[in-house]
Amino acid sequence: MAVEGELAIETRGLRKTYRSVRGRRVGVEDLDLQVPVGGVHGFLGPNGSGKTTTIRMLLGLVRPDRGSATIFGHDVPRHLPDVVGRVGAIVESPTFFPAFSARANLRLLADGIGAPRERVDAVLDDVGLTGRAKDRYRTYSLGMKQRLAIAATLLKDPDLLIFDEPTNGLDPAGIHEIRRTMRDLGDQGKTVLVSSHILAEVEQVADTVSIVARGRLVASGRVADLISGQGGPAVRVVVAPDDAVIATSLLASRGIVARPEGDALVVEGADPAGVNRMLGEQGVWAREIAPLQVDLESVFLGLTQHETPGGRDHRGGRRRRRRDAEPPVGPAATAAATSSGTGRADGGEEI
Amino acid sequence: MRLLRVELRRLWMRRVTWGGLLLALVVAGLGVAGQIGSAQPPTDRQVAEAEAFYAEELERWEETGEQQVEQCEEAEAEAAADDPGADFGCDDMAPRLEYFLPPTVSFVPDADDREAAAFGLPPDRGESQDPRVAEIEQSVWTGWSGVGAAAGYAPAFLMLAFVVGVSFMTAERSTGALGMWLTFEPRRSRVYGSKALAAALGTVPLVVAGWAAVAGGIYTLHAVFGTVGTVTTEDWVEIGAFSVRLVGAGVLCAAVGTALGVLLRHAVAAVGAVAVVLWAGAAFGYPLGAAQRWTPTTNLTAWLEGGTAYGVALETRDESGMVTTTWTTEVVTGLQGGLYLLAVAAVLTLLAVVVFRRRDVA
Ligand SMILES: Nc1ncnc2c1ncn2[C@@H]1O[C@H](COP(=O)(O)OP(=O)(O)OP(=O)(O)O)[C@@H](O)[C@H]1O
Ligand SMILES: [Mg+2]
Repeated sequence: MAVEGELAIETRGLRKTYRSVRGRRVGVEDLDLQVPVGGVHGFLGPNGSGKTTTIRMLLGLVRPDRGSATIFGHDVPRHLPDVVGRVGAIVESPTFFPAFSARANLRLLADGIGAPRERVDAVLDDVGLTGRAKDRYRTYSLGMKQRLAIAATLLKDPDLLIFDEPTNGLDPAGIHEIRRTMRDLGDQGKTVLVSSHILAEVEQVADTVSIVARGRLVASGRVADLISGQGGPAVRVVVAPDDAVIATSLLASRGIVARPEGDALVVEGADPAGVNRMLGEQGVWAREIAPLQVDLESVFLGLTQHETPGGRDHRGGRRRRRRDAEPPVGPAATAAATSSGTGRADGGEEI
Repeated sequence: MRLLRVELRRLWMRRVTWGGLLLALVVAGLGVAGQIGSAQPPTDRQVAEAEAFYAEELERWEETGEQQVEQCEEAEAEAAADDPGADFGCDDMAPRLEYFLPPTVSFVPDADDREAAAFGLPPDRGESQDPRVAEIEQSVWTGWSGVGAAAGYAPAFLMLAFVVGVSFMTAERSTGALGMWLTFEPRRSRVYGSKALAAALGTVPLVVAGWAAVAGGIYTLHAVFGTVGTVTTEDWVEIGAFSVRLVGAGVLCAAVGTALGVLLRHAVAAVGAVAVVLWAGAAFGYPLGAAQRWTPTTNLTAWLEGGTAYGVALETRDESGMVTTTWTTEVVTGLQGGLYLLAVAAVLTLLAVVVFRRRDVA
């Protein structure tokens, strides 16, 4: 079924601005996202980067200002009804009717899509809620609510599963279980899009990832490619403080760059054994030497470190334009200049 | 169709709906209980007391009656200088036994009552008497009667249908369950349609139960006390028509409820808005003059009772600066009332569909 190179999700120039009496706030800005069919795709970004907004747009819950999106080649939200039966989704913290039992809630949903009643019990069993199926949703713990939401997505037996922060509020066992569920679904040839601001959660299961910041795509691709894209192996070496300068020049004489980082040196493009030998030959002994893990975490932080959550208030839109027009004067202007000088955006400036 | 079935099921899974039904029955129960006193013919003790009073009054009348009539006629003559038609009823001043008996009401107003009730309307009779006014005055809804008392509770059932409709929409939005539902059925017009229809049709049992309980209860009461009166076939037809139109109004009220629930988002806002509109219509009813034709209450009454009337005072100033006030009675037909309710429901529903289709669901 999965054609090579076919996309489960594609967005082009997707944009969403939330308007309220207090001003405008950009949720997603010009997002180009591509999710291949099959496997687990991580959708990463810091808080407020627009992950949930993107998912809502894909599901037709909020309407984009601009841009287009497709799911399995169907334009959404226009042709969403044609494809919605193949999509199971949980968005942020999904909710059910608090006064109805879990089973009653799922039955309503199943009846809505004409799914057989047996399916309800089957999916409840899948997520381990059979014993609590008669309890009101109100009485559920956070983790149980999350499981019930996953059960709901499985009612349709979908080809695409969209999970927005699915492990929110789960205990370690629950997290592990969900990870396994996602992996299983991916291995069955289904497409799983899992959003998260926690890297560790995604790194272990995802085949491919997209990283967003400020509503834009900043990186995407296979996890392995993203990591190796950060330069080759690196080694972290700790030597006696007196030896640090000697060690640096020693390595430099062999054409190897070592930069200090705290009380350690980070040596790029070398392996631990090689570094140890070079230093040892000249009588400098390392107290500690270890390969540096270049993981997705550092890629992620490198790409998104200028983020401050909720720091994209566009309320100052008009004021900013005025400020652009007139050269700044006075202490306020100095502050503004400083902040842009350090790359710390004020208002809605670009990084 | 499938969606409608699901929504109907959900409607009757809700405690608000069952609570509404229960409340309708409680209101009906109170209505029946409140009628016990007046449906009952006077007890022997009451009759004995009344006879004693009557005898006393009759004695006094014997002594002072002539004098009273004289005074009355004098006052009448005085008033006649300004208004030639003045009638103080001086020839009918003698006490009667029924003045001292507790009033007894029959299930339908008797002929005397219907006649008497006509005096409640502004006295423009004579020159411009509209035959429709007479018809309204003769109807089963004019005057004091058991069925009239029952009809007084009908708006409560409509209000309950409205509130159930509001809450059916707002609860789903505020709990966030709407988002989940839309990921299963993204066609918003269908979603709205199924919800509005479910609320409109699903609340019919509530209105029917409430009305049947209060009307049936009061009838039974009168039957037990033997004070039903003479119910003509026309009366039964009128009561039947009222019942059918009440159900229709309930459907529209629930539809208005769902629409306002969407438009105003919060149940309190929707219920409050309607309460304010109704209150304003009632509080400023009379001074509104001709605008009374367009108040919700007037039109609802007109629809339910197959026509209603309201009075308008018309002030004219002649050359000498004298202001004369003439009263006219205006008729609002049942048809106008029905079209009015239909239009309100249709406009609000249309607006709600547009908003529901476009609004972001967070
Ligand atoms: N309903 C809303 N009204 C106004 N602004 C909103 C609304 N929903 C989201 N936003 C804003 O849009 C931006 C993106 O929010 P979004 O929820 O998509 O982020 P996210 O990536 O899902 O974050 P998180 O990791 O915290 O879940 C934020 O700045 C947020 O404040
Ligand atoms: Mg989110």
